[in-house]
Amino acid sequence: MIKAVNIKKTYGGNEVLKGVSLEIEKNDFAVILGASGSGKSTLLSILSGLEKSDDGKVEYDGANLNELCDRELTQFRKKHVGFVFQQYYLLSHLNVESNVKLGADLIGNKDFKDIIAAVGLSDKLKRKPFELSGGEQQRVCIARALAKKPDILFLDEPTGALDEATGREILDYITKLQAEIGFTMVMVTHNVNIADMAETVIKMNSGVIVEAINNSVSKSAYEIGW
Amino acid sequence: MVVGFKDGIKLVGISIVCFCAVYVCTFMLNYYLDVVPLGELFDGEPTLALYEAQLAIARFTSLITGGVLGATALVMLIFYVKLYIDKSSVVLGVIKALGYSRVRIALKFWVFGLSVFIGCFLGFGVGWASMQYIYNGLTIEGMGEITPTFHAIIPIVLVLAPTLAFTLLACVYSYFYLKKPAIELLRGKGVEKVRKIRSGSSSKSFLGDMIVCTLKSRKSLVFFVAFSCFCFSSMVQMGLSMENLVTTSMGYMILMIGLVLASVSMFMAITSLVSSNAKNLSIMKAFGYSLRERMFAVFGGYAPFAALGFALGTVYQFALLKVMINIIFSGVENIPEYNFDIPVFFITLAVFTLACMLFMGYYTYRVNKISAKEIMTENR
Repeated sequence: MIKAVNIKKTYGGNEVLKGVSLEIEKNDFAVILGASGSGKSTLLSILSGLEKSDDGKVEYDGANLNELCDRELTQFRKKHVGFVFQQYYLLSHLNVESNVKLGADLIGNKDFKDIIAAVGLSDKLKRKPFELSGGEQQRVCIARALAKKPDILFLDEPTGALDEATGREILDYITKLQAEIGFTMVMVTHNVNIADMAETVIKMNSGVIVEAINNSVSKSAYEIGW
Repeated sequence: MVVGFKDGIKLVGISIVCFCAVYVCTFMLNYYLDVVPLGELFDGEPTLALYEAQLAIARFTSLITGGVLGATALVMLIFYVKLYIDKSSVVLGVIKALGYSRVRIALKFWVFGLSVFIGCFLGFGVGWASMQYIYNGLTIEGMGEITPTFHAIIPIVLVLAPTLAFTLLACVYSYFYLKKPAIELLRGKGVEKVRKIRSGSSSKSFLGDMIVCTLKSRKSLVFFVAFSCFCFSSMVQMGLSMENLVTTSMGYMILMIGLVLASVSMFMAITSLVSSNAKNLSIMKAFGYSLRERMFAVFGGYAPFAALGFALGTVYQFALLKVMINIIFSGVENIPEYNFDIPVFFITLAVFTLACMLFMGYYTYRVNKISAKEIMTENR
């Protein structure tokens, strides 16, 4: 589904990605694991079409993202990609329902309330983000991303700003929804425990992939004891 | 230091508005004070009427220009102080939490008066320098050549007083605005504001919700957008259709002031809108909203107010000129009849549309440059 070949990226003379190649299959749950500064977030933004690499190519179902212009990349993200950010980035002056509509309206999804129900927020439709806990805000973020029915969901440290119990709850929501709806998931994290939940684990260090593992059996958040 | 000199000087918009107001008021008031003692020279009906009309124009113009632009500068100053406190909320919260008193912090806001001083001082200087040239255009038969006399009251009223008043206002306003507890300031901008915005109907689309909420969260910008279009419409039409009533140079001056004021207020409103919505715009971009949709979500709600400002400006300039002709110049001979200038209206409308498109084009480029990736890596 996604194939990256020899991806390189430099910021101000600092080579962040030094020739990364990987492949992620449809409906896979891939985790990109690495410490701060390892280049994992840069890789995520390149794989998701948020920015282009300096060298190499990213293929999505055969199409080279590096050859697309800004408008075409926006179209690509509209059709195929969903995002969940560590800092949520909900629109602060809009309520839960309107925030989820941000994703839903892109594809004319009228059943977006089902996804709000799936993340357990049906009773908080009219609440503003500041009236929600961190875990609830992240659930809105997940609902917003899934309301546009993406083929691939990119998650950038989705539990990074949450306490352990809430983080586990969020991970459980995400994996359950992936099993129910069926989409590819690429998650960036520095939490090694989460790696056991994924089918594919890509370990990064200093801009290169140091290890790629395929787990035969993926575990739930509770099973990994996190 | 909480507020630096740079913060005070950065308020170029206020300086420009003050410059325009003081520039016009300086020569009009000076002319008035120089001409008042010449009243005894006029005893005949037509020349006396013209003389009185000149005095009335000087009074009227000073009052309208000083009043309207002064009020605009006041709104701008409050807007900027509020914006500054919102933007620096966390820093101010830390300072307050450390134990600095509200008075001590508020006093630092005196630097916002600098922009007023710069604008007023330059306005007075340029007004005084161009005084003789303006006098030549205002001289009427029987008056002879008038040499401008320096009246100390003018710099006091037009430079010193506004500077002191605006400085005091900035301190007092910030004192009351900083009343909120340190913890609320530390929580950051907007929470209180967002709390006040009521949720709209859920039947609207996301873009509809965005438009309504953007408008509600930035109500003061409605004023600046409408004011900008009002200035453009009224002063351009007035400048172009006054050729038979005042000198050509006076017409151009009105035109220029209109263009400067319109550009400054529009620039301020749109820049503020884009910067306060940068995060929302980049989230929309990341999710795949097109550039047109993003622009519509942020600016769409302001379009009706821009049109309203233009319409009001048209009515205002027509009414003002009618009043001048029918009341101030009544009894003066050879004053041409004034009717609504339809060609000028359409020319102004066309230029206005073009200017709006250019502004939007520029900001479309700016909005498109906001990187979606930047927001993913911030706060790390």
